[in-house]
Amino acid sequence: MKLRFFTKFDAATVKIWTPIVEAYEKQNPNIKVTMETVAGSGAAIYPDVLRTSMAAGDPPDVFFMWGGEVAGPFIDAGQVMELGALYDKHGWKARMTPWTVDAITRNGKVWGVPYNARGMGFFYRKDIFAKYKLAEPKSYAEFEQICATLKTNKIYCASFGGKFGWHPMRLLDYLTETACGPEVHNQLNRLQASWDIPCAVDAYGRLKKWVDNGWLVPDFLSVTPADARMPVYLGDAAMIIEGDWFEFVVRGDKQPTTNLDFFVPPTGHQPLRYSAFPQQWMVPAKAKNPDASAQFIDFITAPATQKQFPAAFTASATIGIEPDCKEWPITCKWRQIITTSRDIYPPTDQAFTKELMDGFFEVQSGIIAGRITPADGGKMMQARAEAWKASKK
Amino acid sequence: MTGLRSASGTGALGWAQDRTAWMFLAPAVLVYCVFLVYPMLSSLWISLFKWDGMSAEMKFIGGENYWRIFLEDEVSRKALWNNLLWTLAALLLPTSFGLALALALDTKLKGVVVFRTIFYGPGVLPLVAVGLIWSWMYNPHFGAVNTILKMMDLRHLTRGWLSSYDTALAATFVTYLWSHVGFPMVLYLAGLQAIPRDLYEAASLDGATALQRFRHVTLPGLKETHVIVLSLAVIHALKVFDLIYTMTYGGPGRETQVLGTWMYFQSFQYYNAGYGAAIAWVITAIILLIAIPYIRHMTKT
Repeated sequence: MKLRFFTKFDAATVKIWTPIVEAYEKQNPNIKVTMETVAGSGAAIYPDVLRTSMAAGDPPDVFFMWGGEVAGPFIDAGQVMELGALYDKHGWKARMTPWTVDAITRNGKVWGVPYNARGMGFFYRKDIFAKYKLAEPKSYAEFEQICATLKTNKIYCASFGGKFGWHPMRLLDYLTETACGPEVHNQLNRLQASWDIPCAVDAYGRLKKWVDNGWLVPDFLSVTPADARMPVYLGDAAMIIEGDWFEFVVRGDKQPTTNLDFFVPPTGHQPLRYSAFPQQWMVPAKAKNPDASAQFIDFITAPATQKQFPAAFTASATIGIEPDCKEWPITCKWRQIITTSRDIYPPTDQAFTKELMDGFFEVQSGIIAGRITPADGGKMMQARAEAWKASKK
Repeated sequence: MTGLRSASGTGALGWAQDRTAWMFLAPAVLVYCVFLVYPMLSSLWISLFKWDGMSAEMKFIGGENYWRIFLEDEVSRKALWNNLLWTLAALLLPTSFGLALALALDTKLKGVVVFRTIFYGPGVLPLVAVGLIWSWMYNPHFGAVNTILKMMDLRHLTRGWLSSYDTALAATFVTYLWSHVGFPMVLYLAGLQAIPRDLYEAASLDGATALQRFRHVTLPGLKETHVIVLSLAVIHALKVFDLIYTMTYGGPGRETQVLGTWMYFQSFQYYNAGYGAAIAWVITAIILLIAIPYIRHMTKT
């Protein structure tokens, strides 16, 4: 029997996963697992390829997926298997970090099994902070002061790559959380509040301030998120918003990690929330061998398997799986936060569908380029939201 | 069929010849129908529905998708406008440069083949690779374009070429020009070499200047080539997708969306398969308007 395992793994991750697949095949000699990957573009292209395989009636047996509205269209189209019965059979719920199961639940049902629990914050260059006697900020006002100090010393506060929109979105998400607070931010993400309310306009205004004050590396709208790391490596920029995976990425870029640390940025609200999201394994509704698919997911999410292959599960959603803190100190610090704090907000690209999200990115780019005012941005975003809602009726 | 019958005559022998001809044609016709005609008709049918491309349920909405393209969706209209600009530029620039290069390289000088290869070379590279390479060249911080401008003491001209709403489309078109100038050059070279040399000699004996020879001998002699070059330039320009997708992803904002990328975004990213199919048919209709006269002309000649 063949089992097609479809992911966005890059070459380095495929190498890490190969022995896991081999171990599974050894336990199940009648099953041959084929790893298929679409690497490199994040959520921009991977879902397109998956959708095409589903539309062609030839879906993989197990596939990787983000949470929220990236997974939503597949679920709503009836292309994904509901896994409630399998959760009971395999005891998956007790195995997982609780917020991850909540975050992938849609319409009261579970459609996937958490793989990773990811969190994001500001990574910074420790040498630059030390040189200018800067400390991790305790308030948004302090954060702005840090950026002003860096600018005075001809260092950009942060670097972003705006080509696909989602990288600078992380800054706008943070500014929205800061300006609006948790409750209203949630309402905005659910389109229960209007995007032209004062706090949302204020968030756009803050984004404009970051650009106008020269705190961000300029002309970044066409830069890829990967290339945005370059100014940080060169010491031209002090910070970048990345996630718990960043230590792995920096090492892959052959850069030192000892000079890096991160902080969850202050919002001035309680609870202090940070941006986080789960990634999950899913099974297509038309899977040829659903039992084998479930058995494979059970194997790769089991604590015993993950402890045997720790390099593949540095961000695991499975409880009790910790990376080697001596080898991965930054990742380890992230694990402490992710596994203990349930206070999270989703990145907007997991709260909105891609169609609405591109409307969000259009407004965001317009603000960054100075083509629209924050007030007009709020109105424009609300118009996009209303048009999207009308189109779905 | 009428053509086949009249060509092969009548009676038992004619029918046998017809049957043989059809047997030879059948595999190609079958492949054509299965892989081209059926998908085209299928997408035409889909364009009349509201459908996410995955669900079993499809809602018939008639011509609403087409109505939306021209009257409701401002991005579609922007994409159509960008396609128009792109096509006009593609008609003018790669063809003119191609003709100029062909005139310069229509010589028997030693080493001319090297130059022909250099100028034609970019045309054989995959456009995705070309787009990625030029994206790096346009990188505002470490790209070759801004670096060279700084070295030439032209720092005031440096900018985010692909980040700026004002330059993104033009900068992408420069890449298109670089990669598409070789093809018309080759066609014009072939056309130039088909013009009898004695026409130039006669014109020279009559005292014609170089400009007059170009005006009255070269240009009329390239009449057939112009039809091919200009028709293909329009068709290629209307189909533009790869460079926009890799270099700007339709941005900043929606500033560089063209019909090809907007069709892709609608079909594959927004799950609006019906609307995406309608955009595809608008592109097809525009191309057919140009391609049909071109094909008629080519088959006549």
